[in-house]
Formats: sequence, C-alpha cells, structure tokens
Amino acid sequence: MLVFTRKLDQAIVIGDGVEITVLRIGRDSVRLGVTAARHMPVHRGEVYEAIRRANASAVADSQTVATIVTRLRDHAK
Amino acid sequence: MSNSSSHAVIDFPDGLPGFEGCRQYVLLSGPAVAPFTIIQGLGPEAPAFAAIDPAQVVDGYRAQLEDADRVRLGATDDAPLVWLALVSPQQEPAPTVNLRAPLVINPQTLRGIQLIAAESPYPLDHPLRTA
Repeated sequence: MLVFTRKLDQAIVIGDGVEITVLRIGRDSVRLGVTAARHMPVHRGEVYEAIRRANASAVADSQTVATIVTRLRDHAK
Repeated sequence: MSNSSSHAVIDFPDGLPGFEGCRQYVLLSGPAVAPFTIIQGLGPEAPAFAAIDPAQVVDGYRAQLEDADRVRLGATDDAPLVWLALVSPQQEPAPTVNLRAPLVINPQTLRGIQLIAAESPYPLDHPLRTA
C-alpha cells in the first residue's frame, strides 16, 4: 500500500483523471472529495463489500437452477 | 423460452461486485422459470443467479438512479429500464432478495449495472415473498 501524508486541501491524483482531495479534517473522520469521469464508479468501501458478500450468497450453480426455481416458487407463494 | 429477445447479451461494463471478471450475461425468462429470471454469465467460471423484479416483492418499490448511473447505462430520463433483484436461494429459513442493490438494465443499449447506492431504504436480505 502506498501511504501519503496530506494536509487540508491537498490532493492525490490516481492515473488519468482521478483526484482525491482532503476537504475537511475532523477528530475521527476526514471528508474527501473525489473527482473522476462520470462513467467511473466510485463507492464507499464497506457498501461495496456488503454487496459483494450478498452477491456471493446469491450465486447459483447453473446445473441446479431448475431445483432452485422450484424451491423459490414454493417460498414466493 | 418463447421470447428470443430475452437471450440478448447484456454488457455490464463494471461487472458485479465479487464477479468483476464477468461482464457479459444473458437473461433467461419465460414460463419455465417465472416469476424469476435466470441471469447466466458468459465464459468459464461465470456465475449464474436467479432474480426477480423487485416490484413483485415490495409494492411500490422505488430506487434512486443517479445521473452517473444513467450515463453508464446510456439511458435517457424516460428510457424504460429493467430492474432485477438477485435472490439468495440457500438462505435459511427462507430465500432472501437483495432489494438494496438491484441490477438495472437498459434494453435499448443492452447495458447493465448493479446499483450501489450509499443510502437505501431497502435491505440486502428481504425475505422472498411476492406482493
């Protein structure tokens, strides 16, 4: 991991066109501004991680999809 | 599978969280699987999912699309979009539905995203029962 020390209003630039600026420094949080192209997704890490776990629990073996549909239909009634 | 257009390949430019390597999916729907849609990834090791229209699970389901999401979908303001919530079939005591991060697909551009909103009134694990 690259580690930087930044002060208020200082930024780091990642690749071509991603800039992260320190906007405010609080006692136990910092406020960051992210400038990136519109098509580039930017997410909070813990939100992305929770959705990654939910997706992992949703993955279905394609061989057993028929069985799954039967079970789901029973529950969806 | 009477509707051949349901076999179009949908491009997810960002993949899905946890499955970032798989960017192309086909949707399989029809009487054999209704009310569900099977989302099958293309390629080796590609995942498959069962999904359902979130409006069939919660009456009046409504999630917020950001402008950036519309840009990534190539969608205009009034473009009809397809919403699909992934089902976790093995959850106990009952299967659950991820209403918080639905897949949103633009049938006109054949592009899709998984909605990853910072805030949502809906849970990742809503019990499955159709409204």
